[in-house]
Parts: sequence; structure tokens; C-alpha cells
Amino acid sequence: MVLVLALGDLHIPHRAPDLPAKFKSMLVPGKIQHIICTGNLCIKEVHDYLKSLCPDLHITRGEYDEDARYPETKTLTIGQFKLGLCHGHQVVPWGDLDSLAMLQRQLDVDILVTGHTHQFKAYKHEGGVVINPGSATGAYSSITYDVNPSFVLMDIDSLRVVVYVYELIDGEVKVDKIDFKKTATVHS
Amino acid sequence: MHADTVAEDEEKWLAEGIAGVQQNAYYMHRALDSNNLKDALKFSAQMLSELRTSRLSPHKYYELYMRAFDELRKLEMFFREETTRGNCSVVDLYELVQHAGNVLPRLYLLCTVGSVYIKSKEAPAKDVLKDLVEMSRGIQHPLRGLFLRSYLSQISRDKLPDIGSEYEGDADSVNDAIEFVLQNFIEMNKLWVRMQHQGPQRDKEKREKERSELRDLVGKNLHVLSQIEGVDLEMYKETVLPRILEQVVNCKDELAQFYLMDCIIQVFPDEYHLQTLETLLSAFPQLQPGVDIKTVLSQLMDRLSNYAASSPEVLPEFLQVEAFAKFSSAIGKVIEAQPDMPAVSAITLYVSLLTFTLRVHPDRLDYVDQVLGACVKKLSGKEKLQDSRATKQIVALLSAPLEKYSNIVTALELSNYPKVMDHLDNSTTKVMAVVIIQSIMKNTTCVSTSDKVEALFELIKGLIKDMDGTLDDDVDEEDFKEEQNSVARLIHMLYNEDQEEMLKIICTVQKHILRGGPKRLPFTVPSLVFSALKLVRRLQGQDGDVVGEDVPTTPKKIFQILNQTIEALYSVPCPELSLRLYLQCAEAANDCDLEPVAYEFFTQAFILYEEEIADSKAQVTAIHLIIGTLQRMNIFGVENRDTLTHKATGYSAKLLKKPDQCRAVYACSHLFWVEDQDGVKDGERVLLCLKRALRIANAAQQMANAARGSSGSISLFIEILNKYLYFFEKGNPQITSSAIQGLIELITTEMQGENATSDPSAEAFFASTMRYIQFQKQKGGSMGEKYETIKAS
Amino acid sequence: MNYLIGAFKPPCNITITFSDGKTRKQVSVKKENGKTVMVPVFQSLETISGEVSIEPIQGKKVEHTGVKIELLGQIELYFDRGNFYDFTSLVRELDVPGEIYEKKTYPFEFSSVEMPYESYNGTNVRLRYILRVTISRNYVSNITEHRDFCVRNYTPVPTMNNSIKMEVGIEDCLHIEFEYSKSKYHLKDVIIGKIYFLLVRIKIKNMELEIRRRESTGSGPNTYVETETLAKFELMDGAPVRGESIPIRLFLSPYELTPTYRNINNKFSVKYYLNLVLVDEEDRRYFKQQEISMYRLLETPASS
Repeated sequence: MVLVLALGDLHIPHRAPDLPAKFKSMLVPGKIQHIICTGNLCIKEVHDYLKSLCPDLHITRGEYDEDARYPETKTLTIGQFKLGLCHGHQVVPWGDLDSLAMLQRQLDVDILVTGHTHQFKAYKHEGGVVINPGSATGAYSSITYDVNPSFVLMDIDSLRVVVYVYELIDGEVKVDKIDFKKTATVHS
Repeated sequence: MHADTVAEDEEKWLAEGIAGVQQNAYYMHRALDSNNLKDALKFSAQMLSELRTSRLSPHKYYELYMRAFDELRKLEMFFREETTRGNCSVVDLYELVQHAGNVLPRLYLLCTVGSVYIKSKEAPAKDVLKDLVEMSRGIQHPLRGLFLRSYLSQISRDKLPDIGSEYEGDADSVNDAIEFVLQNFIEMNKLWVRMQHQGPQRDKEKREKERSELRDLVGKNLHVLSQIEGVDLEMYKETVLPRILEQVVNCKDELAQFYLMDCIIQVFPDEYHLQTLETLLSAFPQLQPGVDIKTVLSQLMDRLSNYAASSPEVLPEFLQVEAFAKFSSAIGKVIEAQPDMPAVSAITLYVSLLTFTLRVHPDRLDYVDQVLGACVKKLSGKEKLQDSRATKQIVALLSAPLEKYSNIVTALELSNYPKVMDHLDNSTTKVMAVVIIQSIMKNTTCVSTSDKVEALFELIKGLIKDMDGTLDDDVDEEDFKEEQNSVARLIHMLYNEDQEEMLKIICTVQKHILRGGPKRLPFTVPSLVFSALKLVRRLQGQDGDVVGEDVPTTPKKIFQILNQTIEALYSVPCPELSLRLYLQCAEAANDCDLEPVAYEFFTQAFILYEEEIADSKAQVTAIHLIIGTLQRMNIFGVENRDTLTHKATGYSAKLLKKPDQCRAVYACSHLFWVEDQDGVKDGERVLLCLKRALRIANAAQQMANAARGSSGSISLFIEILNKYLYFFEKGNPQITSSAIQGLIELITTEMQGENATSDPSAEAFFASTMRYIQFQKQKGGSMGEKYETIKAS
Repeated sequence: MNYLIGAFKPPCNITITFSDGKTRKQVSVKKENGKTVMVPVFQSLETISGEVSIEPIQGKKVEHTGVKIELLGQIELYFDRGNFYDFTSLVRELDVPGEIYEKKTYPFEFSSVEMPYESYNGTNVRLRYILRVTISRNYVSNITEHRDFCVRNYTPVPTMNNSIKMEVGIEDCLHIEFEYSKSKYHLKDVIIGKIYFLLVRIKIKNMELEIRRRESTGSGPNTYVETETLAKFELMDGAPVRGESIPIRLFLSPYELTPTYRNINNKFSVKYYLNLVLVDEEDRRYFKQQEISMYRLLETPASS
């Protein structure tokens, strides 16, 4: 069982002062094995904070990230799953599922994690999954109104992944669970 | 004389002294064993004569004293037995020991018999004690006197005619007990103080050190006083404290004053301090200038604040005695009385007073302001503080209310708060500003009026603009970033539900941050922009133009502000960020149905793109953002839209690298096909874009082939294929299954061609694309039908 | 040898006994040879009575021209050795001339004898009282025997007893004020007092109180003065500062004092002084002497 934290679009300090305190108290070092971050952190302090939660940190570049070294896309394998990571502003139209599906095919991954729209999404798509963890700070977005802060925890266990979505609604953390199973035949 | 020889000699003298004590004690014991009182007295007096030495340091003298002390205990026991057996009356004994010719042995013996005398109760304890304390005046030598009186204190401690004690005599005897201890204390202190005048000036330092070692002998008396039952509040107030203070003040000795004031504070109960505050405090301004008043006074305030915190029931007492006013005035007087007091000491005092008032009178903000005001007064007319310890104290002073109230808004009401800050040097002003911001962030304080925002910016101005005079060349880049980021975060805390007030806040923030200069703007402008955009969003739905003239809270007005703000950033220059912000504004304007405004923002973005963004990688990102944004715009009329899409595709085709060109161009296809209800659906132009992308991919492929070995462009074909599939699925009539089929074949050929180098990722991409086609075919229904003609094998 | 001694031995033993000899208070008196003997104490105007018994040595008779007993008060000045001044001389004839064959006892009585002076044993002078029995003889030397007794005269508590108070000093160096609560002390008295330091500019090491006795004998150019320090009593250790006051409490009982004698029979005087001595760090001594008057307190039953 591997826990993967997926989050992005924090936009600190441009659009939000910090992560919500409730999230911060939930995210403690030592529990998470990997962090994948779609980007727009935007500053080094946030990077350092994430690194303090878990040293295995994977980040792709958002358009506001000051660190130019983050790649545009990244793939990694966790257990039986191949994960792809991309911020998403490169994929026009933004947030368009069919367009994201193309990226998923291109990266050839089971799970594609993207951001940019600040809206939590998780689709099952042709045997794969496309996840958008939303904005961890609930940052302003031109695309999505009324953004709630959210992030995703993926519990990857052999061929199964359980996606927990944490969303802060009116000061309360709400958790949703979505279950995906990978069919072993997808890659033949 | 060398220190070593002195030490050696001293050892020798001590050894001699001890030998003398031991020898005489031996004879004394022999006399005691044979009940020979006369000899016992003789030898005990001789033994005690060893204590007449002047050659030992206090430390060594103490050692000798303890030897004699042990022997005296035995002698006392003998006296007790002797008198209880009736061999000799205690009264006679009391006289007998006074026949000794030397005063020091005589008085030690007198005290020893005195102890027995009191125990025998043949005379009231108070009379004996009075006699002993009076007779002890015979020793004027400081060291010997201190030890004698210490002995007196020791033997009398359990025999004071205290209330409830077996030695309590008539009604007022507790007065005598107190009088006795006070008297002994006063005399001891006088002796102690006098020590500093003994011996040559050059040994002064050493002497003061030795003197310091003896202080507890004096302080013990205060401890004894505090233990006396009869010293109730009334007694303490009327007699004990005034008498002690009189001595403390009159002795005019720094060391003693510091120690004793501290001692008073330590040994007597807080409740007493509180009820005698005026008396106690009145002593402070009368102390010598060298006395470290701040430490003592701070200690007192700390103690009383702890006392106040210990139980809410005592709080009314604080109010009743007007503790704050008394402290405040006492500190004022102390500072006035000591014009040379260093700033750090004065400020430390204020810090303590502030801590006190925060704990005791948390509701009295005016007190807090008063303390700060007093501090300002002390600092006024002075240059900025250079003393780092003093600045540290100021930071503590200013931080205290923040910590207490966890709310900067409270501090903003303190008129003297910024005045105190004015006395800080630039770097400390910044430190303080960071502290303030941290406090706001930590407590998620919302600053909700423009007035308070104004006041807040006054406090943190050290971060907001370059301070006059100094060049911040040596500022650490990391620190600077962190500071500015904290300002950026802060901006989000300046918020009001009320839109009008919120606009005022935004204007205030803008006014301040625009003064920040090119180094700061890139950090602060984005926050302001998004803060303003949030307000715009709240105003959406209200029709901007009809909201009434006197209320300028309209999106339009805000967009003006935004425009100005981004312009400032633009001229930094900071083109990439400015471009992003313009695009954000454009989108917001779109949502507000303000076409000209949106168009204007786009125009600005385009100008920036053309003129300022030179880096190819930056261009690629910028183009994607432009296309992505433009794709979402729905208010443009045909003409405006055409102009903008035309430019966007133009820029796309002009990117430096072929793959980038190719991708940008096929992304542009989405500008002509928007899956909205009212979205454009111009299939032809979509196709044009895709074909153009294909051409570029081809060119890229040729270049790759020419370069041999450099692969990668095959992926472009697959990407374009995917785009074809996308529009095919969306029902673009211009995209046909045969075109798709052709593209598949093209790719297959390219991948199997002679020149083809193996590209696993492209192969995987293609495979998954084909798998997708297969998937769609198998879906059945209309989609399956659509795909039927496409072979995917 | 025995024979020879016997030859010069007086032919009789004379014993003088006081009628209340067994009950009367006795004091020890130092004799010339250094031995101390116990002698009875009388005071002036007491009746001195007793018996004289003369017992001839066995087998001898004592031929005499008369027997008398004298009560003598004598002053002996040592520098004028051998010269006694009898200031009192009383005689009682005990027997008419005749012979004594066997032990014979004579009662005697001197009633209400005026003995104005006290017995005194000083450095240069001695005042003593004796009873002397003389058996007068022709041709051979008289046989005499004497018996010392001591006279002590008691004084009631003086009605006037002022304190001694004085300010002394050395200009700009030292100013002190001292006070002894009384000027007249009885022999077992306690000296109570106080020294106030008004100005101290010298480094004082300690302070003592001395009791000094001044005995002056003779008169005019032949006056001899002898001063003795009877007590050295340390009052203070260390250097006081201005404003300090040091208590004095000195018990007189341990010291061998007599009352003050003024011009006893124009032959001698004994006076007492309190000498306050301040010693500085260089061992210089600063002192001030005050005469005090000593008296022998008439012991009332209450005060004994």
C-alpha cells in the first residue's frame, strides 16, 4: 500500500496566503510516500514545505512557477501504475477531457494528473484515470468560480487505486472516495 | 603582592586559626567534662579569639567561623545542662560571660548564653533579644560584625516572640520580634555596605566580589521577617517595609540596593507587594544611578503578572490599588531620576510594564498605548537606535501586544505603535514588519477597513519601500524574497465583505505597493491583481454602468486600477508575469461582458508578447496561455475575434522550433471550434490549422531525417492524428475518415521506414491511439458507426 | 636549738578573741609576707569587745608592771618605712602590776569606736586596724601580741548621682560623646554607658575602657602618685562610622576595688578613673579619663 499525495495550483502567494490550516494539520511528515504536484506552487517556500512532508516530490511546471527547472510533463511508476503529470495549461481547451485523454495516450500512463482549472475531477477513461486534484488553497481561477480548496490522496495497492478527495467546504473537510481497478489486460 | 602568595598565606593563616580553635576547644571540653565553668569560659573565650583575625578573606573566615560555631553549639548544650541542674543560675551566667575582656568572644558567649536564657524563660525573650542586638554594636568590623550578627540571627531564629510562639510574651511582643530582626538587618546591612571602604582602592573589584559572596547573610534577615507569623499585611505595610526601604535607600550602595530590592520582591508574598505597591515603588527613583533597576522592577512586574494570572479572583485587587498607574508613574520617575540610563534599560522596563498590563488589564488598550507613548517620549529627540540590545527590546515591546491580542487590528488602534517603530533602524523595522505580518498570518486576522490598512502599511513600510538614507545593497536575496512574499501573502488578509470598502482597501494597497520600486513589484503586484479580480467577480452580475454615480464600485473602475497596476509591473520590466496578468484580466472582463476592456487587455498582452518576450521557451508558454485564454473568450465580435485569432495563429507559426510551431498551430484549431452552445464552429479553418500543422510536422520530419538520428517528430504526426480524431468525433464535417485513414498510414509508413529510428515513446503513443480507435469502434452506437470505416490494425 | 628557742620565747601565750568571732563576717587580707589570713570585719561605731587570755608557759610566771589592750588605727607609708601614724588610739587597762601564774582571762570592750577610715592595702600605703595587748615589764622587753581586724564602712546610696556626659575630640579628626550613666559606683556596680561617634576621620582599630586607680601619698613636694590599671575592657572592635553608638556595660565585681578615699588623715588618697581609649590602626592611642567615685554600698537586706 502506497500513499500518494496529489495536489497543485496553490498559487502562494499570488492568490492565496497559505494552505488552509485544516489541511496543514492533516498533512504530516512521514505518512506519505510520494507527492505529485501539478505546479503553480509558486514559490520556493512552498516547495520546501512539500519537501518537508515527503522527500519524494514530483513537480511539473505551472505558468506561475518561479522555478524554471520543473519539467512540462513527467511520468513515474508507482507499484503497478504508471502515472503522468502535467500542469495542464498547455492542453487547449483547458480542462477538456478529450484533449487530456490525448495527453494520457501520449504519455502512455494509467493515471494522468493535471491541474490548472482549480476544479477537482476524476474520470475513468478508457481503462485509465484522469485526475485533477483542484487547488489546494482554493485559489482564484478564471476558469472555475467558487473554488474550494482540495487535494487528493491516492492509495495505490497492486492493481487497485483508491482516490480520496479532501475538499474544504465552509470550513469543514469533506472526504470522497473513488475506487479504480486496473485491468491487467490493458497493456498487452 | 602576588595573588598566589596571598592565597598561600591565607591557607596558612586559616590553618593556624583552625588549629587555635581546635586546641582551645580541646581544653574547653576538658573543663566541661569536669564541670569547671570558669575554665570552660576561659578557653571558650580563647577559642573565640581566633575569630578576631583580620587576615582572612570572607570565604576562609566562614570556614573558621563554622568550626567555632560547631563548638559553640556544644557549649550552649553545656550551659543549658548547667543551668537546668541548678549549678549556676542563667542570670549569673549571663553576667559571668560578660566579664571577658575582649569584645568579640564576649559577644559570642553572650549570644550563646542568651539563647539558653530565652529558652529558660526566666526573662522575656524580647528583653534578651533586645539586649543582644544592642550589645552587638560593639563589633564595628564589617566581616566580624556580619558573622557575629549572623550567629545571633541563627540562634534566635526559633526563639522569636512571634505570635503563636512559645516565647510570645505580652500582647505586643511580636513588635519586639520584628524590631529585633529589623535592627539586626539594618546593622548587618550597614556593616556589609561599609566593607567596600575597607582596604586599598586597587582591590576594589576583588572586594566587591567578596562582598557579593556575603550578601545572603544580610538577606537572610529579610527571609526571617517573611517567616514571622506576626508580619501580616498591616504590619508589613506600616512597619516592616518602610523600615527596610529606609535602610535600602539610605545605604546608598549599588550592590546592596540591587540585592535587597530583589530580595524583598522574592521573599515577601505577591499579595503584600500589591498592597504596598506605592511604598515599594517610591523607593526606586531614590536608588543609586548604577543600580540595575530594570531587572528588579521587571522582576516585580513579572511576579505580579504571574500572580494576576494565577487566579482571576485577585484581579479586582489590582484594579483597586491601581497597579498599572503606579507602575507607570514609578517607571516614569525612575527614568527621570536617571537621565543617563541607557535606552535598553528604559525600554526593558517598558517591556515589563507592557507584559504586566497585557496580563493584568487585557481589556485596557489605552494602557498599552500609554506604555508605548511613554517609550516614545523616552526615545524622542534621539537618533534611530543603534544599540542592538535596545532594538531587540523594542521588537519585544512591539511584539507583545501582537502576541497577546493575536490580532493586528488591535495594535493598529494604538496611536503610539508606529511612533515607536520610527525609532528602529531600517533592518529592525523590517524584522518588526515581518513579525507583524507573521502575527496576521498566524492568527488569520482580517484587516477590514482601508484606514486600518493604511495604518498597517505605515507599520510595515520598511518592507514596502526603500527606506531613505540607506542602500539595501547588502540585503540577502533570499531574505528579500521571503519578506516580499510575506507582503504578497498579507494582501490576501486585507478584506471586507462590503464591496465599496473593499475597493477602498484595494486602492490603499495599490497606492502603497506601487511605491515599492522595480524590485518589489513582481512580488506584490500579482497579489493585488488577484485580490482585485476577486472583487470583480463579486461585482459580476451587477451591471457596472448603472450602479449610480457616487458609488464608483464598478468592475470598470477596478479594471482601470488593474490596468495601472499591471502597467507598473510591465515597466519594471516583467513581461512574462504582466502578460499572464493581462490575460487573467481579459478573461475577467470577458466574464463581465466588457468587450472593449477585454480587447484592451489582450492588446496589451500581444504587445508584450511581441516586444518583450524573447526567450523561445517563454514564448511557447505564453502562446499556449494566449491560445488557451482566447479559446475561452466569448464576447468578442467577429472582427475583434478575427484580429486576435489571426495574430495568435501568426505568433504560433513563428515560434522558433518546428515542434513548438506545430503544436501551437494545432492548438489554434480550437480557436475555431468551441463546443459551446454559441461557440464558433468553423470546420474549415480547423482543417486549415491542422493541415498547416501537418506541413510543419513534415518539415520537422525532413529536418530530422537530414540530421539523422534525431527523432521525435513522428510524435507530432500522432498528436495531429489525435486532433483529427478529436474534431472527427466532434462532428467537424471537414475531418473525414479517409483523411484519418491516410494519416494512420502515413505514420505507420514513417515508423517502419528505412530511416526510422526506434522511438519507443512514439510507438507507445501510436499504439495507445490505435487502441483508442479500437475502443471507439467497439463502443458501438453512433460513435461506433462513425469509426466503422477507419481501419485500426 | 629547742632550748635556745625556748629561751627567747615569751613566757606566755596571749590570745585575743572577739566576742562574736564565730559569727562575724571575715575577709581575707594579704599580709606582708604574702600570706592571706582571714580577719573579722567591723565598721565604724561598732563596739569591739572580746577577751584576752594570758597563759604562762608551764612552770613559768609572768611578772609585769601592768597589762593593757589598745585599739590602734595606723597609716603606714612605705616610703617612710617604720613610721606609723596612729590616727586612732584607745587604751584599756586590763590588770594592775603583779604576777601571773596561771591562765588569766580579761574581757575588754571598746564601745562605739569611731573608725572613720577603711582598712586599705595599697601600693605605697597601708591603713590598718589592730588590737594590741601589752604586758609591761621592768628590765626586760614588754610582751606584745596583736590582732588585725578590718574596717569597712558602708555608704548609703548617694542621693545625687549625676551621669558623666562629655563631648571630646580632636578637631576635624575625631569627635565623640560619651556618657556614663552615673558618676558614683558601688563596688559591685555595673558601668552602663554609651559612646557616640560624631566624627570619625581616623582609622580606629578598637576601643577599650580602663579602670585606673590613682593612689597618692604624702603631701606637698613629697607627694607620691601611683597609678594602676585594674581593668582593660574592650568595648569595640573595628572602625565605626559617624553616627554609630557603642554600648558600654562593664561589671565591676570581678575587679578588686575599694571605695574612693579622699585625703585620708592628710596622708593619702585613692581615686578611681574611667579611661576611654581609642586605638588607631597605627597603634596611636587617644584617650579621655574621667574620675568616678567609688563607694561601698550599705547592703540592705533587700539588695543582698
